[in-house]
Amino acid sequence: MITLIADSGVTQWFERVGPLHGWAIATAVVVSACCAVVGTLLVVRRMSLLGDAISHAVLPGLVVAVLLGAQPGGLGVLLGATVAAMSTVWFTQFLFRQAGLWEDASVGVAFTTLFAAGVLLVTVSGSRVDLDPGCVLYGILELVPFDTMDLYGWDVPRAFVSALSVLMLLVCGLWCTWRWQIFTAFDTDAAKAAGIPVGGVTLGLLIGVSLATVTGFVAVGAILVVAMLVVPAAAAERLVHRLHHAIWLAVLLAVVGAVGGYLLAWRFGTSAAGMMAVVLGVEYIAAILIAPDDGVVAQFISKVFYLWRVQCEDRLASLWRAEEAKQFVQEGSFAGFVNRWLCVSGQLRKERNVFVLTPQGRVHAELIVRSHRLWETWLGKHVDLPVDHLHPPAEWIEHHLGEQVRKRIEDELGNKDIDPHGSTIPREKR
Amino acid sequence: MIQLTVVAALIPYNTFVVAAGVAAVGCAAGVIGTFGVLRKRALVSDAAAHATLVGVALALLLTGQRDLAVLLVGGLISAMVAIVLLVLIRKFTRTRDDAATAIVLSVSFGLGITLISGMVSRGIPGSGGLERFLLGHTASLTAYDAILLGSVSAISVLCIVVGLKEATMVAFDPDFATAAGWPAATIDLILVSLVAVMVVVGLPAAGAVLVTALVVIPPAVARQWTERIVPMLVIAGSVGLMSALLGVTISSLAVQLPTGPIVVLAATSFLIVSVFLAPCRGIIWRTRATRLLPSDCLQGKNAERSACAATERKS
Repeated sequence: MITLIADSGVTQWFERVGPLHGWAIATAVVVSACCAVVGTLLVVRRMSLLGDAISHAVLPGLVVAVLLGAQPGGLGVLLGATVAAMSTVWFTQFLFRQAGLWEDASVGVAFTTLFAAGVLLVTVSGSRVDLDPGCVLYGILELVPFDTMDLYGWDVPRAFVSALSVLMLLVCGLWCTWRWQIFTAFDTDAAKAAGIPVGGVTLGLLIGVSLATVTGFVAVGAILVVAMLVVPAAAAERLVHRLHHAIWLAVLLAVVGAVGGYLLAWRFGTSAAGMMAVVLGVEYIAAILIAPDDGVVAQFISKVFYLWRVQCEDRLASLWRAEEAKQFVQEGSFAGFVNRWLCVSGQLRKERNVFVLTPQGRVHAELIVRSHRLWETWLGKHVDLPVDHLHPPAEWIEHHLGEQVRKRIEDELGNKDIDPHGSTIPREKR
Repeated sequence: MIQLTVVAALIPYNTFVVAAGVAAVGCAAGVIGTFGVLRKRALVSDAAAHATLVGVALALLLTGQRDLAVLLVGGLISAMVAIVLLVLIRKFTRTRDDAATAIVLSVSFGLGITLISGMVSRGIPGSGGLERFLLGHTASLTAYDAILLGSVSAISVLCIVVGLKEATMVAFDPDFATAAGWPAATIDLILVSLVAVMVVVGLPAAGAVLVTALVVIPPAVARQWTERIVPMLVIAGSVGLMSALLGVTISSLAVQLPTGPIVVLAATSFLIVSVFLAPCRGIIWRTRATRLLPSDCLQGKNAERSACAATERKS
């Protein structure tokens, strides 16, 4: 295995492009894992836009902390950004409750204001802050490997160390409060009634989001960190249904997005942060297309199968009615394919250029016609409809009635044999 | 009047025209944003605003022209595409509305950044200037650009003035409008498109990241002062106008200063003042009212008001 990796040129690549890209990718991976972990809870709790607001609002806190002399990537910056994030939440709530603004407008006002304040601070303070408006917007991932610190004799980028410690902190916090988080996420009122400190749980989640956002901010900037928070979580949520599976999958998708985005950006000579967001977007589109039960493709396939079944059953029923009336029938749409499929599945047989029902097909057709006529009789008895209005609803519902429903309708009607049109209701062979 | 002419003679023609154009944009954004906010589309406009970057970058890449009009048409197309995508995601997937907004916003912004930064690194002419669409930079506008922005804004406001009755009806009660036989969906579509237009013409003034403030904050200010639509439109328009003027003026004082943040902060200070001072809804007013009146008296007044509303509804 090791020789395989060595032979494939990975080591040469690593020696050539150096540890610089390696460190940048590693930082991106850890940062996006942080964001995916808290992002999943945000998405499940319908608080995605709060993540959006927090990511914008972190900026002024960061700048003020740096102006007050905090070390970039250090504890002071984390603290400043968390305070700023909490103040956005407070500002949003203030506008929503005290000023009576609409909820979405409050979020919009709060985050544009704080972001504007942050950008203005960055511009005015100029060289005193090691940020320029551009890198505020799309991060400085490419420069991360150059700002290193000494860790037990290793030269490790500062951003990587802080991201890794935040990741460990988040995982520990989530591990300890897992049951509370999951209960609050799915039923806040019940959690409150069960004595769980819902406010504290939410506050913890928000602090986690702001920590993840600060680490993401340095790597990918204010707006693209929203992509890291929300997109992998939303994609994972479409693909699996258990929360802990969703978190693992979101982390996996985020890591794939980070590595893929960085490599693609490197290949095409463009912004790594932007490309990561694009890759995450592609993952989301793929997820909504292939989601197993409610994905676009799955819905399309099940619709096609349903229409096909309706065509086949209509064909069988019309042949049965023709037999009953001793007439020929008109062919429906897709007649050729339908006939061929019914012959293959043994429900039709061709005799002297005419299709006739096999015994097996006759049983199936009788069930359809029986459902149809039972429903017409039931409608005629219970719903005051003219006789010529009974056919269309029965034509639709004949494909959906199961054996038990037919039995109950039959019992309810008292074993009537004739439908409102005067035709015999075929017996069910049990 | 004489003083005004003196001021106009002192500042250069270009600055004057740009200020007038941007002020018109601010005013129109306030007026049209009112309908967006009433239909609870504040964050939809934010997603559209972030998506404009893609169109602006593609317009430069495909046509090779640096003309503001061409770039803004590109931006408008991508903003509309983003809105359509948002509607599709909300309709055909089970992703929640808030997550859908955040996804469209961040991914389209990422695509825009990727395009712009790829174009800059390939040295495509004019691509360096695209960064001014991020945070807004009115100092780089020419008089021609400003006239373009101003006239688009004027036409948009004219649309609203002509269709004020229809727009109000759809903004407050789309279901009733549909039931009454109005083409509510079409009117709604026109309103959304107008908001997208305002987001796009606001780009040079406030930038993709902050332009949503132009269509959200002035209506929020106006909401504090009045409960009627026409005064609300007038107040929102004037707040937008004043914020834009302040932004242009202050950012022209220093070369490096982007316009967007100043416009936003100006508008927010109007909002904060209104939240405290506005009659009836203002915090100071409410605290005084609750102190002066015993609580049962307030309840009595409310009961009277609701009884009055009930009789009105009956008649």
